[in-house]
Amino acid sequence: MTTDVDVLIIGAGASAAAFAWSMADTRMRILCLEQGDWMNPADYPSTRRDWEVRMEREFSPNPNIRRRPEDYPINDTDSPISLLNFNGVGGSTILYAAHFPRPHPSDFRVRSLDGVADDWPIDYAALAPYYALNDRQMGVAGLAGDPAYPPHEPPLPPVPLGLAGETIGRGFNALGWHWWPSDTAIATRDYEGRAACVNLGPCKGGCAQGAKGSADITYWPLARRAGVQLRTRCRVREILVDANDRATGAVYYDEHGSEHLQRAEVVVLACNGVGTPRLLLNSKSPRFPQGLANRSGLVGKNLMLHPWGMVRGTFDAPLNSQLGPLSCTILSQQFYETDRSRGFVRGYNMQVTRGLGPVATARIGVARGDIPWGEGHHEAFARRYGRQIGVGICCEDLPEESNTVTLDATLTDSNGIPAPKITYRLSENSERMLRHGLARGTEVMRAAGAWDIYSDGPVRQTGWHLLGTARMGEDPERSVVNGWGRSHDVKNLFIIDGSVFVTSGGVNPTPTIQAVALYIADAMKQRLANLFD
Amino acid sequence: MSNDGNASLDPGSALTAVQRAILDAVLNLIVPPSADGRMPGAAEVGVPAYLLAEAADALPALREELDELERRARARCARGFAALEQGERRSLVEELRARQPAFLSRLAMETLACYYQHDRVLAGLGMEARPPYPKGYQVVQGDLSLLEPVRARGKIYRDVT
Repeated sequence: MTTDVDVLIIGAGASAAAFAWSMADTRMRILCLEQGDWMNPADYPSTRRDWEVRMEREFSPNPNIRRRPEDYPINDTDSPISLLNFNGVGGSTILYAAHFPRPHPSDFRVRSLDGVADDWPIDYAALAPYYALNDRQMGVAGLAGDPAYPPHEPPLPPVPLGLAGETIGRGFNALGWHWWPSDTAIATRDYEGRAACVNLGPCKGGCAQGAKGSADITYWPLARRAGVQLRTRCRVREILVDANDRATGAVYYDEHGSEHLQRAEVVVLACNGVGTPRLLLNSKSPRFPQGLANRSGLVGKNLMLHPWGMVRGTFDAPLNSQLGPLSCTILSQQFYETDRSRGFVRGYNMQVTRGLGPVATARIGVARGDIPWGEGHHEAFARRYGRQIGVGICCEDLPEESNTVTLDATLTDSNGIPAPKITYRLSENSERMLRHGLARGTEVMRAAGAWDIYSDGPVRQTGWHLLGTARMGEDPERSVVNGWGRSHDVKNLFIIDGSVFVTSGGVNPTPTIQAVALYIADAMKQRLANLFD
Repeated sequence: MSNDGNASLDPGSALTAVQRAILDAVLNLIVPPSADGRMPGAAEVGVPAYLLAEAADALPALREELDELERRARARCARGFAALEQGERRSLVEELRARQPAFLSRLAMETLACYYQHDRVLAGLGMEARPPYPKGYQVVQGDLSLLEPVRARGKIYRDVT
């Protein structure tokens, strides 16, 4: 038996880190259980010559490829998009690109504005102070004055555009379209003990420099210094509940497979939009035969993934585009807000990315037939390497109950816990939006002077953004948690990760996940005397 | 040897001398040396050791297909594969590609991974043979005055009341 705690947080990723740091000032006994380990930046791919290959294997974002002992498999065979994550302190921020755009105010009001899905019970204005706080804690670089957003001021100057950014920026200008240096969780100057970015490039393999704002090096050191306990290699199997519908704690396995019971007054789930419904669905009891906190039947439903397209253009001029933070430079939100004349509602973010390393350039070129075997190989490679620019199309994904996370009937992790099974289809709205985005991406490449352009979508290995599977709302029949993250069914159970998203917006969700977690922490602190009423 | 972790691996026991000669010929069909000598051929960058380290599961199929190339070369040209003219080699490898596309695709992808990490190749591309960390790279900051037209057009987000 372990010592009882006041607050038990499950998962140590982006949301948990921000939440734990905020809650630490209550002086409550707070414990976080994480199934992964602390990462050692000296092990990250960029410290090795074979960094491109390492990023595909033990640092792959796909747990079914990576297969570390702390990973759990995900059955994604019934989805055109593979699901990605990382299990460790810092969660998926270890491998994320650190592209850090906020959503728009309209993203929280899609029912009122566009007649689709549902409005959030909270809005941009309520979250704005938490976005700003989170920007400071994560160390966000950017340029104030972006006309796509309400005014805000990133604390650090933007990452370099490079010649590639200038080139594609001129293309956007030629079309009269919006573009702007993107907000990026990368320290472009020495910041709060973190060394400035030196343009290693492969941010998505982990940042050996420590410039990228991953939650293990931003929030967690502060939270632990303030007294929060973090226990690694602890994999939670289920949450227990008593006869009064109160969560009493969690059963977990340590790294040796031994089973433990951790009791707590409050249980907080921060396992992402797949891990959280998996755990709830696996926590069945006579009081909750369909899974814990699931009287609405919505746990695991409304999975949103941001269908992703990619356009890549090749230019005549050498751009040194392979250098710099791979997926962070500029964005365009020309097509972000709804314009029904386009044939779909809502919109997408265009995320400009840099060129690829030599191995990826060669492999993709050969696989596509652009770089031949034998004669002409070197010339074709030279015409592409360092001369390519990408535009990612991040489509807003609207919630649909048929897109689900359920428990697989046979597949399990190494502790025998059922693996999540994904059932997912792109809606017609998403298909139309994606086609529009790929065409506009091609158009801007052409306007910027690309001589060779190809596009693809939905790209399979892009399921980073795991959202909506325990949505928030005021109606217990139409939502899983209330407007400040508390389960409708279990009054001392909270959810703080991307599961609570009502809609997905069309941007990378980490800033919003963390802002919501900070908002929920403040809401709880303001209600400590009657938290469970 | 430049690829981390491969230096101590001995490919000698993985392939026979005949298999190794055929593999070298196939590798140079994938990436030949450049005419100016600046870029090596794929047979010169240690692919067998790389395969042993990174794709050991593919070795049984590799041996089998190399042996098949040898059998077909002798049946058709009365010489071993390594003794064939380039055109004859290419023809047999194209047959292999049609017969076993997944196998040959994997061989090509692993070869490219090995090749484009090698010191001589990176030197030929004008790059330093080193990991990105700790030195990093210089990237030009870029001209932010290009944003003036974007500023001038003004706000594009919707107001929400």
